[in-house]
Amino acid sequence: MSSAEGPVVFDPADFGAIPSSRSLRQWMRTTRRRHADRSFWQVFEDVYLVVFTLAMVGATGGNVVRQLNTSASQCSSFSCHELAAYLPWILVPLLVATTLRVLLSVGPVSASRAAGFWLLATPVNRTALLRPAYWLVMVSVAVTGAVTSFVAWALLGSQWQSIWEGSLLTAALLVCAACVTVWAQQTSLRIKWTLRVADLLLVAAAIPAVWLATRNGPSNNNTQLANVVISDADAQALLTSGTSRLLVVGLICLVVVLVLAVLTARTLSRLSRTTVIAGGELLAGLAGAASSLDISMLADVVSGRHWRTKGRAHSRRGRGSRGAAMVHRELVRILRWPRRLVIGFALLVVPYAVAGAGFDVLVPVAAGFAGFVAVRPLMDGLRSVCRSIGLARALGMDLRELRVIMAVVPGLFAALWSLLAFPAIGSGVATFAIAAGMLSGAVRQASARPPSYAGPLVASPMGAIPPGLFSQPIRGFDLLLVCLAPVLLGLSAMWVLLIPAFVLTVMFSVRPKTA
Amino acid sequence: MSKKAAARLVVQALQHKYGDRPVIEGLTFTLDAGQAIALVGPNGAGKTTVLKCIVGSADPAAGKILLDGLPIDERAEVVRRDVATLLDDLDFFPDLTAAEHLDLLARAHGNPAPEDLVDTTLDDIGLLSAADQLPGSLSSGQRRRLALATALVRPRKLMVLDEPEARLDTGGVAWLSNRLIEEKKSGTSILFASHDPALVEAVADSVVTLTPLP
Repeated sequence: MSSAEGPVVFDPADFGAIPSSRSLRQWMRTTRRRHADRSFWQVFEDVYLVVFTLAMVGATGGNVVRQLNTSASQCSSFSCHELAAYLPWILVPLLVATTLRVLLSVGPVSASRAAGFWLLATPVNRTALLRPAYWLVMVSVAVTGAVTSFVAWALLGSQWQSIWEGSLLTAALLVCAACVTVWAQQTSLRIKWTLRVADLLLVAAAIPAVWLATRNGPSNNNTQLANVVISDADAQALLTSGTSRLLVVGLICLVVVLVLAVLTARTLSRLSRTTVIAGGELLAGLAGAASSLDISMLADVVSGRHWRTKGRAHSRRGRGSRGAAMVHRELVRILRWPRRLVIGFALLVVPYAVAGAGFDVLVPVAAGFAGFVAVRPLMDGLRSVCRSIGLARALGMDLRELRVIMAVVPGLFAALWSLLAFPAIGSGVATFAIAAGMLSGAVRQASARPPSYAGPLVASPMGAIPPGLFSQPIRGFDLLLVCLAPVLLGLSAMWVLLIPAFVLTVMFSVRPKTA
Repeated sequence: MSKKAAARLVVQALQHKYGDRPVIEGLTFTLDAGQAIALVGPNGAGKTTVLKCIVGSADPAAGKILLDGLPIDERAEVVRRDVATLLDDLDFFPDLTAAEHLDLLARAHGNPAPEDLVDTTLDDIGLLSAADQLPGSLSSGQRRRLALATALVRPRKLMVLDEPEARLDTGGVAWLSNRLIEEKKSGTSILFASHDPALVEAVADSVVTLTPLP
């Protein structure tokens, strides 16, 4: 580190006008193109593959939705009628609350750490730098909202026009919610209040769900719904009064959304670099986890972000020694984030709602998956020791032993949850199978090894991948289904008890593989 | 009155808390143009937190921070132009070389032809041979030097540096010391946190000692 002529010290006057964001991006594009190691045709092939896949999935999905819409529109039972009447009141607040929470957790306007340092920390117009990310968020929210509500309304057997109107209105509502999150991102106080509103919306969504779960209506009333199946006949009339109304609704939504989005875009300069980068870091972590199809790692990223944000917690003394001390520590750790317990217990509404809607055959599956979602977040401790050989070694216990110890508190939660769901499930042995399934599935997913690229790899169109990569997303759910299988297949009570008991025994007897 | 007008950075009664626990309480100092202040103290005393409050990466619970008489706000263009920072928030674009990173930064600050400036700085900081390397292939020491270089290819009135001597060898620390003294001579104010007494002794005009709060 030396300079023969001595250091050159610069003066601000040596620097001219600040360049535009556009010219800077252009410079980066040109520079990057020089390092490009893939030809245009290689990129084209990848894009073609993605577009083709999306088209195939879209066509198949569209066809399935169309078929289900046909079936649902022919359902004349009281349960179907009730479900159609109440589901929008659950779905819309749930979608808005989810949009608020998800967007605020990633920004919503975000940038990578590198962009934060090399671009956002410079005097270049911040609004212009952030505008592409902002519009990407808005478009993504609009598309996601429209598709989700389109599918939901179609599955309820609604008319073609109702589906389109519902989708348009929901998409517009969600874009407005996205604008609110951008406004909230500007100060921590606004974020806090917006999250409270999201929580209130969740409560609002729970009210009709609870009502649906607890009401005592006739189970097979032949009330004919006034639904019309999506059919070609609907599309034949070009400008009926319904179509005109749809156009007007669409136009109004478009105007409102555009005005709000443009006004919000003007406030992007008020976003601090810290909040923008925080979201970018989270997204980078999530993208890394998603690329390895590792659901547990996705949960790790979100959980890690939560604890980093919290930063500080009141230390509590442990109790007992060895296993007892670890069980106590797990309890303390779980109680430290009570929201997860609240959400876990709130998920009890799912089996009751399904039972209340009259779909008795689906209750075990709904209860199993809801229970899995409820219990899995309580497994962070197990997750940490299974991912860190050093931590397991430091604790001085065998990993198998640790897995049993760390599953005690979640196991008790699973047992309590299942007992509370028992009235909806209606069978003691099925309740046991569901509890065993949700516990063994969650333990299996939490103690999964990350995919290793250090070992043998398998050639694929996406390049070399570790064997078992594609089984990652179903890890955990597979055991849940094995435990639920005897219930779903209507096997005798003995099998309904034996198979889940066997799964649990094997799960806790085998030593987990380390990374 | 004239002394107040010359103050580049004023920190008044700064307070910062993690939850309910204060980590900085009533910190006050003034940094004039062409002067350097060193923040020293043990780990956990709040040195980095003070620097983060000044560059807008952390929100103070109370107090004032003024740059050239105006409240400092990282979102203001003038602050982004005048304050060069070296904290723990540096990351790299994986597909841009060391030289291209500095080139980008200089351009973003309004230098339309920064090639000579970039080359001189890379030479100055001992990274000329690594100019064409991508960040993934740089050693941690080289990354640190590149981080230091970011403060040198852009305009600056105030440099905020967190342990700038970290990961530098003995020769590197000596170079850094001389470089910072030259910066002071040119009118740049420097606020830095350091654990190196020799660097503090050589560069700092005054020292603020922080102690961990109970």
